[in-house]
Amino acid sequence: MMVFVVYALLVKATLTSFSGLASLPQIRQDFVETRRLMSDEQLTQAVLIGRASPGPVGAYVVAVGYFAAGWPGAVAGWLAMITPALLAIPLLATIERWLHLPRMRSLVDAVIIAGSALLIPAGIQLGRDALVQLWRVL
Amino acid sequence: MESRIAEPGATGRGPRRARLRAGCHNMSRVTPLGQLGWIVARDVNRTIGGGYAAMELMRRTFVARGWMTGATNGVIVAVSRLTPGTNVLAYCTAAGWRLRGWRGSAVALAAASVPSSIIIFLMSAALVRVATYRAVQAGLAVGMLVACVLLFAAAWSLLQPYLRSRARVRVVAMLAGALALYFVGLTPVRVLLIASAVGLFMRPMHESSRGDGHATTHTTGGTPQ
Repeated sequence: MMVFVVYALLVKATLTSFSGLASLPQIRQDFVETRRLMSDEQLTQAVLIGRASPGPVGAYVVAVGYFAAGWPGAVAGWLAMITPALLAIPLLATIERWLHLPRMRSLVDAVIIAGSALLIPAGIQLGRDALVQLWRVL
Repeated sequence: MESRIAEPGATGRGPRRARLRAGCHNMSRVTPLGQLGWIVARDVNRTIGGGYAAMELMRRTFVARGWMTGATNGVIVAVSRLTPGTNVLAYCTAAGWRLRGWRGSAVALAAASVPSSIIIFLMSAALVRVATYRAVQAGLAVGMLVACVLLFAAAWSLLQPYLRSRARVRVVAMLAGALALYFVGLTPVRVLLIASAVGLFMRPMHESSRGDGHATTHTTGGTPQ
């Protein structure tokens, strides 16, 4: 039962966020404050493990699931992480179906351009974090 | 590759099932599932600092192998940004579906998510506080610097065709507008939603959008001119 609750809470967080760590506030609200399934320290540790390991940053939900409900919770976390990705298929099918329409093509162009613009501050932030971390270590 | 635009069902007039089949399977002859899984697992699980670096690595591989055009990659990147959850997983799912249908999606999604999940599970189970070790921190910082470079490379590869088009002034204005909205404090999702709304009412940026552009943009992805 606990595993289903963990999955439901995590999938709620991942479905309502649009990037890796954007689900963190919702997860903290549900797991730490409302249901007390884990401590703030465990949540911080989950985020650190997620950032320290290769792969998607959003994979930290696997650690959240583990701290909340053991290995079944980790599986629930993995399922919650991949569930929203499946929405990409109908979205791509819909967009490609209508891509011949100038308005749809313009919409996609606009999203690509705006998305590329958003990569610039993300890259600057990442580079700054990396340099600060290197300076601290060395 | 351009010859595929003549495939029945990819013209926008055939039955929906035929169009979808043509859309997701038209490259199946050249995309072995095993190779797809290996490439996704390799590229996603060797980057630190976010999925955009991994997406750039995958784009380079897919384009180099002739599995995907740069423009098709652009559409998939746009879809991944509009999909809730982790962007790189949405990218892998959409790219897998585009290359090999639902099997490709399943393989790509598993390859992208399972290895890192196992690593995270093991680290959580062992309660390893890896991030506190100096050597690990230094390694992470270097990994993040590499990811930073890949991020800028990804932005450049996506923008390059638009900046070379006749609409480059409009493209620069849109870039500046998106950055301004972001720095004003809007979340990335809101910036993208506003961009979508603007795009709906915008004049098309390239020739293929006007006439029978469906063949060039839908099936092969097309390239902005």
